[in-house]
Amino acid sequence: MINSLMGDSDFEDLYENAPCGYLSLRPDGRIDRANKTLAGWTGYAADDLPGLRLSELLNMAGRIFFETHVSPLLRMQGFFDEFALDLLTKDGKRLPAIANARERRDDAGALLFTRLTVLRAADRRRYERDLIDARKQSDELKVALEERLRQERENAELREQFIAVLGHDLRNPLASIAAGARLMLKAKTPEDGLRLEAMMQSSVGRMAKMIDSVMDLARGRLGGGISVSKSITGIEPVLDHVVAELATAHPDRGIETQFELETPVFCDPARIAQLFSNLLGNAISHGARDRPVRIGAMTKSGVFELFVANSGASIPAEARKRLFQPFYRGAAHGPSEGLGLGLYIAAEIAKAHGGTIDVASSERETRFTFRMPLEGDGSLRPG
Amino acid sequence: MYARESVRVAVKFRNNVQVRGSGEQAMMFAHGFGCDQNMWRFVAPAFEADFTTVLFDHVGAGRSDLSAYDRQKYSTLAGYADDVVEIGRALGLKGAVFVGHSVSAMIGVLAAIKDPELFESLVLVGPSARYIDDGDYVGGFSAQQIEELLSFLEENHMGWSAQMAPAIMGNPDRPELGEELTNSFCQTDPAIAKEFARVTFLSDNRADLAKIKARTLILQCSEDIIAGMQVGAYVQRNIPGSQMTVLKATGHCPNLSAPAEVVTAIREFV
Repeated sequence: MINSLMGDSDFEDLYENAPCGYLSLRPDGRIDRANKTLAGWTGYAADDLPGLRLSELLNMAGRIFFETHVSPLLRMQGFFDEFALDLLTKDGKRLPAIANARERRDDAGALLFTRLTVLRAADRRRYERDLIDARKQSDELKVALEERLRQERENAELREQFIAVLGHDLRNPLASIAAGARLMLKAKTPEDGLRLEAMMQSSVGRMAKMIDSVMDLARGRLGGGISVSKSITGIEPVLDHVVAELATAHPDRGIETQFELETPVFCDPARIAQLFSNLLGNAISHGARDRPVRIGAMTKSGVFELFVANSGASIPAEARKRLFQPFYRGAAHGPSEGLGLGLYIAAEIAKAHGGTIDVASSERETRFTFRMPLEGDGSLRPG
Repeated sequence: MYARESVRVAVKFRNNVQVRGSGEQAMMFAHGFGCDQNMWRFVAPAFEADFTTVLFDHVGAGRSDLSAYDRQKYSTLAGYADDVVEIGRALGLKGAVFVGHSVSAMIGVLAAIKDPELFESLVLVGPSARYIDDGDYVGGFSAQQIEELLSFLEENHMGWSAQMAPAIMGNPDRPELGEELTNSFCQTDPAIAKEFARVTFLSDNRADLAKIKARTLILQCSEDIIAGMQVGAYVQRNIPGSQMTVLKATGHCPNLSAPAEVVTAIREFV
């Protein structure tokens, strides 16, 4: 038989000077007794602690946690183990700790005391905080990496399309220039030569346009969006010029315009012309040949609005979603059509002006509407 | 008919709805932040003889269906209020009594505004229309204290044990792992609990109080650091015709610390 060396006074000493803090709470939440260890940690004299509320030793977060989590569980299961707690020392310092709590009830089930054992746990709590932070960082990294991967995939896809464009679409006009050059050598009359030259010029123009589009795409994708240089612009002559250009190229097509442009617009006139030309060009190539293309432009309530509408077959909902993606071409595109960058570039120009392009398409008409704020500061929400 | 039945089953499953007792009038109990329907375990049984009692867990708490958690929907108290309305409709409640603790007091306020037929009486236990001070309004907390709370909640083992749950379920041959789930009541998913805390403590329902048509009782604890006397008094002043009973009970959870007093106060009111 082993005789303990411990006497009653040693038990008292174990309580008072244990390597952990002891705290007994009365049912009303006030401290009944605390040991010297806890008093020492918190900077109170041992006699000062009884009578204080536990909440006076906690910061606000700890108080809320104690009320909403610890107290309910104590009442339900009689204990709550291993909870983190920040004790406030007398001079307001934070003492990170881990605690266990037990209720002591009488035979009738009435609460006598709630006892807390508190372990100082600055390092442990810091370690856990570091773990939480590390997990957060790794979660954020994962999200960032996934986004990066998505972008890379998109870029790879674009690159493939880019190569396909260079390999395919640029060959057609190039072939026609080569053919023109060959024929030029055999040309009999100056008229033949002029005709061939005009044809070659038009092919060169098409190639130049394609290269411009591809460059815009590259700038839009790789840089911070399409470049614009804005100035206060009277917009009507800009639109008139585009209409005249396309009307000359398509003398057989009707174009109806209705402009109510009273206020100048803060924009890049060349880019707006490009956007408009792309929309109008599309309407002419895809709209019903026997019906006019309708154009409207107005400056009203701080917004510049421009729409281009054509009759003819509607755009299927599925296709509508992809219209503004680069290299998107409708199912039935002919060889003379562009690269499928027109709407993409138009949308990028709209974005660079804080504006939007919306499309509505029904049996009756297909309508593209560009809206941008008149002043440079406000941005339009897609509507 | 079949569709309605399946909706009823789905809602009951999502919110772990428990219907007990008997009585023409129903009494629905809603728990607050930090726990689940166990919060009412000492109160609800007292009404089973005279009322049909309805208990449930908010999505994210207790045995609710965690997969039903939708960050968008539950980013405001209105999402939780929609669930209360759906539970009420699924059970065909009309003119019931709603008893809401803590944040669920305001969830009940929103539900009662959304469907005034559902509840003829509201019992709000420890309500607060806004926790953060705002100009002359004293909610009891600063925005910074609430941020501290949200960060502090991450550090507590409540969450850790909940994360242990899948590991335990995957190890039926190691029952000792189950014992690590010491705090077996009031399990909450830690990520959801944190968002619920954010929604709760950043909510502001002061403008909604005046829209309440149901007769309303506010049960106010004597020393409640979460919803103090002035906060309860504000709710009482702003809900037309409402009355307030100040309990002797202290703390924020009289439904656990002084259930008899709560039962008596509710009984006198209904």
